[in-house]
Amino acid sequence: MKWTTKRLTLCAMLAALALALSWVERAFPPPVPLPGCKLGLANIVTLFALYALGAPSALAILLVRVLLGAMFAGNASALLYSLLGALAALAVMALLARSRRLSVYGVSVGGAAAHNTGQVCAAMLTLGNAAPLAYLPVLLAVSLFTGALTGFVAALLFRSAYLQRAIR
Amino acid sequence: MKHEPKLKPTGWDALVAAAVLLLALALGARFSLSGAQSGARCAVVSVEGVEVERLPFADAEREYQNNGYTVHVRVTPDGVRVDRADCPTQDCVRTGTVSRPGQSIVCLPARIVVTVAGAADEGVDAVAG
Ligand SMILES: [Zn+2]
Repeated sequence: MKWTTKRLTLCAMLAALALALSWVERAFPPPVPLPGCKLGLANIVTLFALYALGAPSALAILLVRVLLGAMFAGNASALLYSLLGALAALAVMALLARSRRLSVYGVSVGGAAAHNTGQVCAAMLTLGNAAPLAYLPVLLAVSLFTGALTGFVAALLFRSAYLQRAIR
Repeated sequence: MKHEPKLKPTGWDALVAAAVLLLALALGARFSLSGAQSGARCAVVSVEGVEVERLPFADAEREYQNNGYTVHVRVTPDGVRVDRADCPTQDCVRTGTVSRPGQSIVCLPARIVVTVAGAADEGVDAVAG
């Protein structure tokens, strides 16, 4: 893989977009009373980058987004949440995307479920307490909806002729 | 494009969704079961992951300090809540009253967790060992 100017620019733009999405997300109340828990809207960008640019670029975008996001929010304790959540989502989506049978929806739902599982793991790690595990069932159910939503938006992005040209 | 994504949902997508739903239901059943076994409930307070106190659901007030923050916990026969805290996020206060076994209040800045457990069972804590 070559880091051409075009790829670099695309990555920077997508990282900025993901950062904006994480910001928008703060306006929504978290689905469960777990501080630091997010819906995972930025997974739209991860999903798009995964197909358009490949896993290494998706990982680079993700790391920039998570680190800058934590810096802007000035909240280091939530860093582990977004990091574990985002990494789990990317890992599962990269795996599922290998299957030619699944559409972006299936990949996205799997990613959303992994994102929420990662967040619960981060909560258990930071708190040294298994209590957050009790919220996993609700979060998994929620991930069906967020996964469908991010899959829908990703499908819209892939249909856009303008973006098609940009990533070719 | 690395490879062309499918943009229309397929039956295999439904399979992924079904797997997630099944996992949610199985875990949900597991936790509601552990709650059902127990009669009386109590609030388990943990600081830095270490259990410091078990408060039965009767009128009581406690203050816990950790990591430079003070969290004020109020227990009533109906449940437990954090009614005051000097943490910057105030998530713990906004959580309100919790009463069902397995529910918890988390104060991330103070690293304090209040979990509802049945009086006899060790609740969720036993799962992690
Ligand atoms: Zn708090």
